[in-house]
Amino acid sequence: MGEVEKLCDKVISTDLLIVGSEGAGGHAAIKAHSQGADVLIVTKGKIGQCGASQMAGVDFNVDGKTAKTLGFTGDDRDSPERFFEDLVREGLYLNNQKMVEKYVEYAPKAMKDLMDWGMRIYGYDSVHAEEMARGITSAGTYWVAAIRKKVKELKIPMLEDTMLIDLLIREGRIAGAVALNIKSGETILIKCKAIILATGGWHRAYSFNTGSYDLTGDGIGMAYRAGAELISMEMVQFCPITMVWPPKDRGSIALYVLSCIDPFDKYIQLVNNKGERFMEKYDPINLEKSTKEIVSIASELEVENGRGGLHGGIFFSLKHLRPKFIDAIIRIANNRIKNELKDTRYEFTTLIPELIKKCKTENIEVGNGAHYMGGGIKVNENTETTIPGLFAAGECSGGLWGAVRVASACTEVGVQGIIAGEVAPKYVKKVEQAEINENQVREILDRINKPLMRDEGITPNELTKKMHEISGKKVGLIKEGSLLKEATEELLEIINDDLENLCITSTKSKELNDEWIKAIELENILTCLYLSAKSSLIREESRGEFYRRDYTHTDHDNWLKTIVMKQKNGELDIKFENPVVTKISLPKGKLTYQEAIGVATASLKRE
Amino acid sequence: MEEKKIIKVKCFRFDPQKDEKPYYDTFKVPISGKMSIQDCLVYIRENEDPSLAFFINCRLGFCKRCLIRVNEKSCFACLTVVEEDITVEPLMKDKVIRDLWSKDI
Ligand SMILES: Cc1cc2nc3c(=O)[nH]c(=O)nc-3n(C[C@H](O)[C@H](O)[C@H](O)COP(=O)(O)OP(=O)(O)OC[C@H]3O[C@@H](n4cnc5c(N)ncnc54)[C@H](O)[C@@H]3O)c2cc1C
Ligand code: FES
Repeated sequence: MGEVEKLCDKVISTDLLIVGSEGAGGHAAIKAHSQGADVLIVTKGKIGQCGASQMAGVDFNVDGKTAKTLGFTGDDRDSPERFFEDLVREGLYLNNQKMVEKYVEYAPKAMKDLMDWGMRIYGYDSVHAEEMARGITSAGTYWVAAIRKKVKELKIPMLEDTMLIDLLIREGRIAGAVALNIKSGETILIKCKAIILATGGWHRAYSFNTGSYDLTGDGIGMAYRAGAELISMEMVQFCPITMVWPPKDRGSIALYVLSCIDPFDKYIQLVNNKGERFMEKYDPINLEKSTKEIVSIASELEVENGRGGLHGGIFFSLKHLRPKFIDAIIRIANNRIKNELKDTRYEFTTLIPELIKKCKTENIEVGNGAHYMGGGIKVNENTETTIPGLFAAGECSGGLWGAVRVASACTEVGVQGIIAGEVAPKYVKKVEQAEINENQVREILDRINKPLMRDEGITPNELTKKMHEISGKKVGLIKEGSLLKEATEELLEIINDDLENLCITSTKSKELNDEWIKAIELENILTCLYLSAKSSLIREESRGEFYRRDYTHTDHDNWLKTIVMKQKNGELDIKFENPVVTKISLPKGKLTYQEAIGVATASLKRE
Repeated sequence: MEEKKIIKVKCFRFDPQKDEKPYYDTFKVPISGKMSIQDCLVYIRENEDPSLAFFINCRLGFCKRCLIRVNEKSCFACLTVVEEDITVEPLMKDKVIRDLWSKDI
C-alpha cells in the first residue's frame, strides 16, 4: 500500500462515483449501470429516505402531445415546441435554451423509466396552472421507492449515511474524493475517474425552509472549492403558505399544496393580523390565486408593515366559511386522499384534515419557506461542468430554469439523471485513473479535524444562529442593495474568521457526532449563502423569483445575462454570460416587475 | 407571546467507546406551541447538550427513520406530540451506536 492509501481509514476504487441517491443521483446510477459502467453511490442518508425528492408533491411534466404516446389523455393542442417556448418565456429568458430543449426531449424518457420501474401514478393533470394539462401526478414517496427498488434489484454498490467531503483534482481533472462515514466517523478515500454530483439544494442556509436536514449545499461547495463555475446563485424560490407555527409542523407545505388543488383553491383566504384579505390590495383580480411570487411578496410586505402574526407569518383562513361547510371540505379531502388516491403520507392523511378542522376556530400562521434553489453548478446540456470528469445533475445544478422554475423540478432531476448516466460512462471509457495528490488529501483531513482539536472558539450551533440571522433578515425574499451589501460583508467575515475558529467541545467522539458534521456542512452552506448574496447584490433588477425593492424593473436591455462565479487562486472570480439561445431570441426593453411576471397588481413598493 | 410550560425529558445516554454502561440525563425543555419529541431533542441539542445523538431528516413523516422509544413505546419522533414529562430511549438498547440512535435505523 502506498503512502496515500494510509491517510484515510479505508480506500475504495470505482470508475464513476455518484453523490446523492435520490431523484437525480438514483436515476443517474441506474442509467450508468445499465451502460455497463462501474458505479458507486455515496449518500448522506439512506436511499429513498433522504433529500427533497421523498418530500415532493409530486408532479412531473410531459408535453400534451407526447404524453399520449405514454398512454395518458394528453392534449393535442400541445407540442414539445410549445412546451419549450413556454419554459423560456416564463423563465424570463435567462434559461440556457439548449438545456430547455433537452428537458422537453428527455421528459417523456424520464417518465417512461419511472413507469417501467413501477412508480404508482395518480393521474394526468395541470399542476403548474398552464393553459393545458401537462403534468403527471404521484407522490414523492412512490417516486423514490421506485428508484430504490431498481437500484437494489441491480445491486448497485452504495455507501449510505456517508458524506462526501471534498473532490480530489489532478491536473485539472477528477481523480477521486474523500468521504466520511457519519455513523463510524471513518474517513474513506475514493479513487475514481468521474463524479456525478446530485446533492440537491442548500435549504438549511435559511432557518425557515421546506427541505430536509441533509440539504446543505455540499455539492455546490465542493465544486466551487475545486474551481468549477457556478451560475445564477441569486435565484432562490420561496414557497408561500408554508407552515410557520406550531413548531411541529413548521416547514410543511401541505396548505400550499391544498391551495393549488381544485376545489379547495376556491375557498382559501389569506389574511393579516387585522383579518383583512390583503391580496385584494396586491392583485385584486386573481387574489390568492395570483402567482407564487406575488403572493410571497405580498405576505412579506404585510409582515414587514406590522400586520403579521407572532411568529413572522400571515394567516391561512377559512373563517368566512360556516363550520358545516368546513366539515364538508374535510369529507371531500378525506375521500380524495384516503379513498380515491389511497395516499398514506402523514401530511395528507393526518395533517391536512387536522388543520382544516382547526380552521373552524383559528387561523393558521403561514409564510415563505426557502424551497427550491434555481442556481447551482454550471452545466451544459450534457450535464458537464467546467471541470473534466465532473458532472452535475438535479437541483445542485444551474442554468435550466432562468429566473423562474415554472415546471417540474422532479422532471428536471430525472432528465439530467438520465443524461449524466449516459454521458459520464462514455467519459470514463476514454480516460485513465488520475493519480491522487497526497497533499490534497492531507489538507482535507486536516481541515475537517481542526474543529475537533480546538478547545475554544465558536460552536457550530452558535455559527448557525449567526448565519440564520443574516439569511432571514438580509438575504430573504425581498432583497435590497444596502442589506445585501451588509450581508456579503458579514458573511465574508464569518467565512474568514469564524469558520477558522469552529470548535467542538461537547464530545470528541467521531461516531454520530452531529456537531462535527454541522461544522463540515457549515463551510458549504456559508459558501452558497455568501455567493447568493453577492450575486443578488450584483443583479440590479427584479426578474421572476428574484425581487429587489430598489430595482423593481425587469430590465431586458441590461440584465439579460447570467452571473457566473468561480474560485480562482483563492479569490472569487465573477463574470457575466449571455444566456445560450437556440430558437427564441432575447427581447429588449424594460418592464415593470408586474408586467414581466404577467400579473396586474398594486404597487409592490414599500408603503 | 404564548405561555411556556417546562417539561422534563429524560434521555438514554450511551457512548459504547467511552461509557461502561448506559445512563440517563434529564433536560428541561420549554414547550411553546405544539411540539414533537424531535423538536424537544433539537432544542436540547441546540441549547443544552450538542453531543446528544439522535436521528433527524425530513421532520414530517416521509423518511420514516426517526423511530425512537418514548415511555417504552416505539414511535416516530417527528410525529409524536409531547405534553408531559417523558423518557426517551433508542429503538434497540442493545444495538446503540450512540445515545438515541441504534444500528437498525
Ligand atoms: C417539500 C418539497 C416539496 C416539493 N414538491 C415538488 C413538486 O411537487 N414538484 C416538483 O417538481 N418539485 C418539487 N420539489 C422540488 C423537488 O422535489 C427537488 O428539486 C428534487 O427532488 C431534487 O432532487 P435531487 O435528486 O436533485 O436532490 P435531493 O432529492 O434533494 O437529493 C439530494 C441527495 O444528495 C445527498 N447528499 C447531499 N449532500 C451530500 C454529501 N455531501 N455526500 C453524499 N450525499 C449527499 C442527500 O442525502 C440526498 O440523497 C419539492 C421540494 C420540497 C422540499
Ligand atoms: S424525521 Fe423523517 S419521518 Fe421523522
